[in-house]
Amino acid sequence: MPLTRRTLLAASAAALACPGLARAADTDAPIKLRDLYNKDMSFSDLAQSLEGKRVAVDGYMAPPLKAESRFFVLTKIPMSVCPFCETEAEWPSDILAIYTKRIVDVMPYNVRIVSSGVLELGSFRDEDTGFLSRIRLADATYARNA
Amino acid sequence: MKKTLSLVAMLAGTSAIAQDLPQQSSTWFTDAQALLATQIARTPNTGTAKNVILLVADGNGVGTNYATRIYMGQQNGALGEEWVMPYETPDYSSALVKTYNINAQTPDSAPTAGAMNSGVKQRFNLINLGDGGIHDDCSTVAGNELTVFSEIVTGMEKSVGIVSTARITHATPAAVYAKTANRNWEDSVPEGCTAQVDIAQQLINAMEAGTIDFAMGGGGRYFLPDGTEMGGLKGRRADGMNLIEKATGMGAQFASNQGSFDGLDLGSDAPILGLYENSHMMYEADRTDEPSLAEMTKAAIEYLSKNENGYFLEIEAGRVDHANHAGNAARTVTDGVAFAEAVAMADELTDDEDTLIIVTADHEHAVAFNGYCGRGSNILGLCMGVSKTGIENNGEPNTAADGKPYTVMGYLNGSGAVLVEQADGTFSGTRPDVTQDEAIDLDYVQQALIPMSSETHSGEDVAVYAKGPWSHLFDGTVEQNYIFHVMYHAVNP
Repeated sequence: MPLTRRTLLAASAAALACPGLARAADTDAPIKLRDLYNKDMSFSDLAQSLEGKRVAVDGYMAPPLKAESRFFVLTKIPMSVCPFCETEAEWPSDILAIYTKRIVDVMPYNVRIVSSGVLELGSFRDEDTGFLSRIRLADATYARNA
Repeated sequence: MKKTLSLVAMLAGTSAIAQDLPQQSSTWFTDAQALLATQIARTPNTGTAKNVILLVADGNGVGTNYATRIYMGQQNGALGEEWVMPYETPDYSSALVKTYNINAQTPDSAPTAGAMNSGVKQRFNLINLGDGGIHDDCSTVAGNELTVFSEIVTGMEKSVGIVSTARITHATPAAVYAKTANRNWEDSVPEGCTAQVDIAQQLINAMEAGTIDFAMGGGGRYFLPDGTEMGGLKGRRADGMNLIEKATGMGAQFASNQGSFDGLDLGSDAPILGLYENSHMMYEADRTDEPSLAEMTKAAIEYLSKNENGYFLEIEAGRVDHANHAGNAARTVTDGVAFAEAVAMADELTDDEDTLIIVTADHEHAVAFNGYCGRGSNILGLCMGVSKTGIENNGEPNTAADGKPYTVMGYLNGSGAVLVEQADGTFSGTRPDVTQDEAIDLDYVQQALIPMSSETHSGEDVAVYAKGPWSHLFDGTVEQNYIFHVMYHAVNP
């Protein structure tokens, strides 16, 4: 992972485990979704260092799989459905599952949002949707990225 | 001064400029005179093409190519606008190409690639069927199958290869070997359809028949039974067929990652099948553990060159198109550069005397460019002001009537639409503010006008560039199916 000022700030803020600083990281410098992964789709050092911590991640809300849910998928670019690229809707490989505190108020798929929650790593199959995630935010909230 | 003028006249081989001109010492002037001399000295190659290489960047119309040219130039330390792509040098002839389909003003990649491979325009969303073929109607396949260039040159004892960064069953590579009423019948056909098999089967059948010798790209899932894993691939075929085993069973070599690609025996006569992803290969910007388009091009040429009768090779940069569909200019141009590098590789490994190289695209996209940007404005970034006295832009972003800066590139439609769906289902919105850092980010989606999940193709012209035997036949504005006719004439003048 390229160590940028932004990721360095986020990582050090989280490492300090200071609620005030962590909140600052949440609001001031959301992590880019791609920085949670290495190029080979393994988890980045940043992701591993933030496991179990509350983090804020920049991205887009993919159209939810079901209504009245507390779950959505965060994508790094808007989840286009391209009939000439794919014969069926497919998830990109670098996504983040978001489990929310409240029922999801659906945002358009092409509006940038910041999702904040506790980062969890490792495979988990959602019995409700059947969705298998490798990396998630739990207890999450989200808002438009101004 | 007289001496300079006579030099100019000599360079030009003409006495058209027979007077002193104040501008004649300018490098703009002398460069143009040098090009003029080169063009005057040009002689057509009317030999026989032993080899034909058709390089197609999917979705790389004149506008998209312009973006890639500037990007590649800027990556190489130039301002960008003056950059010359490997296929834009004076040794390439060129023409504009009209890409529409029989029944579509805005084309898709299936009939466009089919036109290049069969010599006739085709109907929207189908591949290599004549006028009577109807999309999605299996009953119209029989009797409408066209003969394609790969079959013709196989009859001339030439070898045939295909390389693509898209699925090898996707429209552009499929047009080399497949005949199908629906471009999406990649791993199955509708129940009761017996006039054709799916596209993946058609590839392996062509390999068995000897009309395809080298095939490399993505799309592994369509070659393995549902759930079956092999070489990092996971199958999705409902009919349980293992087409990779079928290929290796008839002696083919198989590769599915960088290591097995590097291990291929290119000196062997056994067919080669390379499948690197379940779906498309990765964008160049994200590529890991799989070969680049230029590496696959090199391998294909090395393998095919063993045939003393020559070869036909189609190479596709398939994902220029996909990044455009996503409205993501950064991946569009990085895959465009990978394409340019593949063209340069093909040119380097072949002889202009006996190899016809054709570089083109199948269609353009709804991409557009704002103004008035100063020289050297980052093609992915903000449109900067024109410098009053210097050459490079003034570093100040131009602003629109809404007071906000805007990027050089944008799209007429797509997911970057500034009109966003509201809670009541209506669409409205204002243009987001955008900084230079945000705009040049790899994942940035350019602003667009009309809200659509996937940005669309456009019917705008593409260019064709060619060098080698009979390449001078590309001139003016031509129909896309004409490309086949030049290829056919070049191998059989």
